[in-house]
Amino acid sequence: MSADPDAVDAAFFDELRKHYSDDEIVELGAFIGFNLGYHTFFGTLKFYPLFSPDGRLVSQAESEEIYGAAPASLQKPEAAE
Amino acid sequence: MSHIAPLPLDAITDPELRALVAEGAALGVPDDLFPRIIARAPEQAVPLLRALLMSHAQGNVDHKLKEIMRILLARFANDKYFASLRSNKARAMGLTEPRIDDGCFDYEDDTKGFSEAEKCALRYADLMFLDANQVDKPFYDEMKKYWSEAQIMELGAFIAFHYGMQMFMRSLGAKAAT
Repeated sequence: MSADPDAVDAAFFDELRKHYSDDEIVELGAFIGFNLGYHTFFGTLKFYPLFSPDGRLVSQAESEEIYGAAPASLQKPEAAE
Repeated sequence: MSHIAPLPLDAITDPELRALVAEGAALGVPDDLFPRIIARAPEQAVPLLRALLMSHAQGNVDHKLKEIMRILLARFANDKYFASLRSNKARAMGLTEPRIDDGCFDYEDDTKGFSEAEKCALRYADLMFLDANQVDKPFYDEMKKYWSEAQIMELGAFIAFHYGMQMFMRSLGAKAAT
């Protein structure tokens, strides 16, 4: 939906329907849309997780060092790989 | 025809959701197609529709400006559904189609008469999904010259939420009836 929205076509929905009901597809699609928007917005605000991967409360500066100065949501699809 | 069939309007029985559908119909954004689709996920439908309406029609930023930003985003998202809808409230406040087009395509042109605050907000919507790396500290410093932090959060959340729902509707191939 984000990297190549044109690929989300009728054939893609046919494939989705093999595994999910229409109601579940709507739930997933709205969830993806919500996260697609907000993760990009939050990425511009430059705030980072309060905890390190091992559970320590860390400063924003240390968190930025741990999780990266350029969140994946801000990368172009080819650069994020 | 949407890839997912919307529910019939009379299949929506939750009074809270029905009230929000009526609110959307009065505003003009969204019409009943969006709620009839998200009603398939009833636990999400009410909060999503409420957030869509509140972020657009309420708050402390001019509704006309947010309407232009919403259409700019929908056009960028290539979402035929939301791009075709118009706010009756914004229209009643004097927003016209030429002004919408100016705001979407020529807002940096000084002859179009957008204030520096409006330009900055429109740039915010323009850049967020075009190149979010440009929405950096200097960009927010510029925003803060014209907008309070509360207004910037209102605008940022508005941009994020509406664009997300526009991409969702684009993925469904949804189109408004009119």
